[in-house]
Amino acid sequence: MGGKVIAKDSLGEFVSKLSERYRIFGPRKKGTEWIFDEVRSAEEMDLRYSTTILPPRKFFIPTSERIFSFKMDGGVEEPEERDGPSLIFGIHSCDLNALLLLDMVFLEGEFPSPSYARRRERTALVALTCIDPSENCFCESMGTGPSPAGGYDVLLTDLGREYLAESGSRRGEEMLALAKGRAVTAADLEGKAKAIECAKSKFKKKVDLKGIDELFLRNLDNPVWKRLGEKDLACGICVNSCPTCFCFDVRDQLDFPMVGGVRYKEWDACVLLEFSQVALGGNFRRDRAARIRQFIGHNLGWGGASQFREFKGRAKCVGCGRCIRYCPAGIDLTEVVKELRGI
Amino acid sequence: MRLENPYLAEECAVKRVKRQTPDVYTYTISYPRGSNRLRMPFRPGQFIMVSIPGIGEAPFSFSAWDDGKGIFDTTIRTVGNVTSALMKRGEGQRVWVRGPYGRGWPMEEAKGKDVLIVAGGIGMAPLRPVIELVAKNRRSYGGLEILYGARTPNDLLFADEFESWKGIPDADLLLTVDSVPKGIEWDHGVGVVTTLFDRMRTEPNDSIVMTCGPEIMMKFVVKGLLAMGFQPKDLYLSLERRMKCGIAQCGHCQIGPKFVCRDGPVFPYSELRGLPDLLV
Repeated sequence: MGGKVIAKDSLGEFVSKLSERYRIFGPRKKGTEWIFDEVRSAEEMDLRYSTTILPPRKFFIPTSERIFSFKMDGGVEEPEERDGPSLIFGIHSCDLNALLLLDMVFLEGEFPSPSYARRRERTALVALTCIDPSENCFCESMGTGPSPAGGYDVLLTDLGREYLAESGSRRGEEMLALAKGRAVTAADLEGKAKAIECAKSKFKKKVDLKGIDELFLRNLDNPVWKRLGEKDLACGICVNSCPTCFCFDVRDQLDFPMVGGVRYKEWDACVLLEFSQVALGGNFRRDRAARIRQFIGHNLGWGGASQFREFKGRAKCVGCGRCIRYCPAGIDLTEVVKELRGI
Repeated sequence: MRLENPYLAEECAVKRVKRQTPDVYTYTISYPRGSNRLRMPFRPGQFIMVSIPGIGEAPFSFSAWDDGKGIFDTTIRTVGNVTSALMKRGEGQRVWVRGPYGRGWPMEEAKGKDVLIVAGGIGMAPLRPVIELVAKNRRSYGGLEILYGARTPNDLLFADEFESWKGIPDADLLLTVDSVPKGIEWDHGVGVVTTLFDRMRTEPNDSIVMTCGPEIMMKFVVKGLLAMGFQPKDLYLSLERRMKCGIAQCGHCQIGPKFVCRDGPVFPYSELRGLPDLLV
């Protein structure tokens, strides 16, 4: 695949040309944090962002989503497909890899999700090599960053005064054709490698993945879970801010005056009490200790080991650090792994 | 390529409702004429998602299936919103059905072997098609032994079929209950289902065990049978978990790396040993 080097001065023009074809969502400053939000120009974006509050998962799996509408006297109507092409600009490697993991759940199983497939298909991805990992990031140790190996249409890397823009797909080639720039030289690729090395030197956290699935299964009764259970508030922010958490509830809601209604999906969280509740109040994860063990175990232990069977050895966690950043109880899964290892 | 919405169900008719116990009913449900499902293979132990629009959807196992006719039974205890609505609406109601999903009982692996069934309460529902299949293909299987326990004699499902089960060649049925209310005649065992192990004739060699009931019951069934020399790979359990999708996406039924809906609901004990959030 080809590439171009785009002067930072010319980025605005590139984005403007892209905006004629796509609705663009990019990182925008909000207070002291950043969010992915609709933007109309490059100036509205802050490409030096560290991480966004919510990951781009929200564009592919909305918090609440209609599965179909129904009439009580018969008849089912599926949601219409109205949205045109959109583009996520500046997605970091962790969040991009998260989408590749979500693909395994919603596209690669026996029953692919039509709505997820549609959104993935119509959404172009302009990735950005992360050059300034936050204090909570550990993508390098998860093998998911700071620069992605694939899965993008275009990958941008900040070279100082210019961006190295590499295409990773035919759509990416077409997008790059809209950009003004010069040819890529060996020095540019060297610059990218240096930027990545520099980013790598900034990581403060890591997870040792060696034998991690075994580590979790051997430590189901480790006292660390009980202690975490006492600390945990079961608020669910770890799940809501996670780029790969995919669990959802399915519910029905009737319209007034009950002539019809909708069946819809809504984000759910394994750390919540009701999540594992069955008939007659039975609950397989009643204790918070079991629930936090499920969240962390799913992310780092058994989740990657065999849940997505075709991708053995890959963890669900991509090391974005959001659950650590937002946990009001200060639970840090990289520290939990160290404790399990007796370090 | 246009993908089919996997949540779209078929509208089926509830032909018959039969009371089994004070709170358990068997619903005979028929797929519409020309349904694709008529040709779908059905395996005992698989489940379907049944829903009533506006109320919700829930997973249930089959308790009988009429091959090729698209008629099946599901035996359901009235405990929640969907099950209460099903019960109240009775015969003639329309329900939505999708599935079947999941991995059923090991009917192939059991061929040529003795089959031991250990059921507790409502847990007999998904095992009834096993009994029917063994009876129908009697020469494919060895001895059939059924151990069945319930809270009281009134809580035993399919009591009107016990005589015909006993009539299956080389088959035994042993019953036990936790307690016998006054005024009820009972000449079988009293105690938990594992008390029947003393009287059972199935040997650990060349046999397959299929058990379904409360998880705490299955815990003791597994413990007792392992002590008698049965192998973990020969003990099959059907598990209950919360399920909202049935297709390995909603995440509710996860047990460590397993999705109960996709990898189960029937598991050999050898696959469950050492996993989190299990009583067994």
